[in-house]
Amino acid sequence: MADPVLSVRDLRVEFPTRRDLLVGLDGVSFDIHQGEVLGFVGESGAGKSITGAAIMQQIAAPGRIAGGEIRLNGQRIDKLSRTGMERIRGRHIGMVFQDPLTSLNPLMTIGDHLTETIGVHLGLGRRAARDRAVSLLEEVGIPEPAERLRSYPHEFSGGQRQRIVIALALCAEPELVIADEPTTALDVSVQAQIIALIRRLCDTHGTAFMLITHDMGMIAETADRVAVMYAGRVVEIGRVADIVAHPAHPYTQGLIAAIPSLETDAERLRQIPGAMPSLSAIPDGCVFHPRCELADDLCRTRRPVLAGEGDHRTACHRTAQAEYAP
Amino acid sequence: MTRTTNEAEAHGRSVWAGVWQSDLCIDFRANRLVLVATLLLAILLTASLLAPWVAPTDPFDAMSLDVMHSNLPPAWQQGGSTEFLLGTDDQGRDMLSAVLYGLRTSIVISALGVLLAAAIGISLGIVAGYFGGFVDTLIMRTADVQLSFPAILIALLVDGILHSMLPALKRDDSAAMVIVISIGLSFWVQYARTVRSSTMVEKKKDYVSAARLFALPSRTIMVRHILPNVMSPVLVILTINFGLAIITEATLSYLGVGLPPMRPSLGTLIRIGQEYLFSGEWWIVAFPGFALAILVLTLNLLGDWLRDALNPKLR
Amino acid sequence: MSGASHFVEVRNLSRRFDVSKPWLNRLIEGGGRRYVEAVRDVSFDVDKGETFALVGESGSGKSTVARMLVGLMSPDRGSVTIDGTSITGEASRSEQRALRRRMQMIFQDPYASLNPRWRVGRIIAEPMLALKVVPSSADAASETARLLTLVGMSAGDMRRYPHEFSGGQRQRIAIARALAARAEFIVCDEPTSALDVSVQAQILNLMRDLQQELGLTYVLISHNLAVVRHMAGRIGVMHAGRLVEVQPARQLFVSPQHDYTRMLIGSVPQMSSAMRRASSTRGAPCP
Repeated sequence: MADPVLSVRDLRVEFPTRRDLLVGLDGVSFDIHQGEVLGFVGESGAGKSITGAAIMQQIAAPGRIAGGEIRLNGQRIDKLSRTGMERIRGRHIGMVFQDPLTSLNPLMTIGDHLTETIGVHLGLGRRAARDRAVSLLEEVGIPEPAERLRSYPHEFSGGQRQRIVIALALCAEPELVIADEPTTALDVSVQAQIIALIRRLCDTHGTAFMLITHDMGMIAETADRVAVMYAGRVVEIGRVADIVAHPAHPYTQGLIAAIPSLETDAERLRQIPGAMPSLSAIPDGCVFHPRCELADDLCRTRRPVLAGEGDHRTACHRTAQAEYAP
Repeated sequence: MTRTTNEAEAHGRSVWAGVWQSDLCIDFRANRLVLVATLLLAILLTASLLAPWVAPTDPFDAMSLDVMHSNLPPAWQQGGSTEFLLGTDDQGRDMLSAVLYGLRTSIVISALGVLLAAAIGISLGIVAGYFGGFVDTLIMRTADVQLSFPAILIALLVDGILHSMLPALKRDDSAAMVIVISIGLSFWVQYARTVRSSTMVEKKKDYVSAARLFALPSRTIMVRHILPNVMSPVLVILTINFGLAIITEATLSYLGVGLPPMRPSLGTLIRIGQEYLFSGEWWIVAFPGFALAILVLTLNLLGDWLRDALNPKLR
Repeated sequence: MSGASHFVEVRNLSRRFDVSKPWLNRLIEGGGRRYVEAVRDVSFDVDKGETFALVGESGSGKSTVARMLVGLMSPDRGSVTIDGTSITGEASRSEQRALRRRMQMIFQDPYASLNPRWRVGRIIAEPMLALKVVPSSADAASETARLLTLVGMSAGDMRRYPHEFSGGQRQRIAIARALAARAEFIVCDEPTSALDVSVQAQILNLMRDLQQELGLTYVLISHNLAVVRHMAGRIGVMHAGRLVEVQPARQLFVSPQHDYTRMLIGSVPQMSSAMRRASSTRGAPCP
């Protein structure tokens, strides 16, 4: 098996506050391989965005990476200096955020955005940079790219802006793109186009994607593998098809059963009682035990670790009993 | 019965614990400078408000004045007396008492002025923000016009107009009221602008829509729902404006259009005192000036801290 | 269904928005008023005890319809009639209050729909006192306790402030407030789009339970086709201010009539697509 593009081991992120120490991420480990989309799914506060920010070393102070390691192509990047990280950002890791408007400078034309980034990372001349900008825009599906270079961000629709942001992220042919809720601000019809675009780019460029979203449907459509996050931990990780069909962790089961479907009818939706704990009140033992029907004394006292055969691994003491019946 | 009392007590205690543990309070406790400023301010406020009981003498009681004691230097200087810690003026008035009474006058008049300004500004701002349209344009353009004049000029203008309109009132009696109105009318704009913009944000929120669904009249919605939610920036302006108002009052009094020498404020004391500066009686002007500076400085420190502490962007 | 006996009747609702500059600017700079057509000629009926859904993308005008339904916004043309009484016509204060009592709204953002400075007890009691549903504030307090239990919270939560609750709990409080007015007709504007899926399921189930228990009539506004299909008996699809299609829920997904509806249904991400993709040619991404 080839070395992964990104390898994260036992990542721990802490947020010291005036009152106590909040643990945002605890023991998060995963790999992303070339040409693969690894989806991160979870509810708000699960820590999926913190994971992305930690890789980019963009955790807002006073938050800090308190343990573990992050390797990009085998090189450790979690201990890099600010300037060292700046060389990685954009060149080796591209970024796409939820709101395309905030990632684009309203006073710069699209052409300026692209040629500047291409110039910085690839050192191309103006003519060559411009040609590359046009071909990138064409690739992400902006019609008449040569003419649109002179347009400003506000002259594009939301979906087109997100396409431009994706083009910007791909400027320097990075090995990894981190996309944090890339379609959340968009309408369903536009969302489908962006999903298709990410899939296509992943196949043609061999770029690895880290796709962060709260939408299980989006993961099912786009990702190859998925990591389910809960209260700062990865509770289940594996191939999307496996996890959607046979979720092993009670949280994943509940999450999938809670989504109303266009294909099946249900009088009532299955609901998980309660809500995710806040960072200041993480329970002992398995973080999910207060909401779990299967919880026993072991779950209340000991933390389960990710375990299982092959690709599909689950952090649950009761996985064997917790078979999902569709 | 006992259980309910216990519950109430527990509740009361938890409220205090909540206040003590609140971000604002922790921030406050961690900030030495603000702590010292608040302490100083508290001393000045209590001493001046309790002046009739704290001050060694009543500086306005002509009977107690003795010309024999005129122009005494502070106690620690050659010729000073421990009876008059900060010395006396040309009429033998105890400077410490004069400063305390002056502080009291300054603080009370400025506070009333600032409250008047806040009342005018908040009402107009909330009305402008809530109704919008023509009412908004009218109020805010008026504010713009007024903002193009310095506050002290407005105060002088209001002062002049009021005095010519109220010739029947004896000048000295109406002086305090005139100053309060002058300060009120020259400081309302800032409140109106702030409250208007917060109101425009708040009225779009759905708790206001929900209140409209209960068929509540606009006035009730503005007072009960919007007002409490636009008050935190007002608090900051109040504190900073209080300092400005004290300076404005002092300036007006210094210029001679403020309070008469019979009931001096700090500004009046400084005006009187400066005449003696060149003949060597520095204490007559220095101590009122010093009190004024400390008062305004502490208020500004407190206001600056409050502004930063309440600003969620700086958290 | 006979012609005249619908609980809610919406006829030719239209609304445009004034996007012109303030009058002083127009006076000085010249130029007339400018308008945007948000809702055009929307008509539909809702029967008692039914859930009618309006679905559409952003800018389709569905939220504008919602606000006109409860009278938060007045239509330029058209009418809304609830149980024979027009809410758009002239009405006295007491008539209005009587109408308000019957219809309420649940808003999208539970963080903005509750006054942050008020305790939950006061928030829920307000409509009862304002609409004179209960005679005294003591009755309001006991009724508030009952309502909180009804929506799955505890009576003790009355003494707490909205910021002490999670999004789902706040939405429960908002539902309790709507019920406090003794509303029979509730317009739900994207009630779960700010919530996480597991919490969304709780709220949707609660809304169903309450409907069955109290015979409520819902108009559900949403962009989420799956939620709408799960909740509604009939669905209206809105596009660019017009109602392009109304069909019974199941049927809409089986045989959509309008091109826009077909496109909308086709773009919803499906869980089953993971299995489809897995069984198709591109299966193993990592070497």
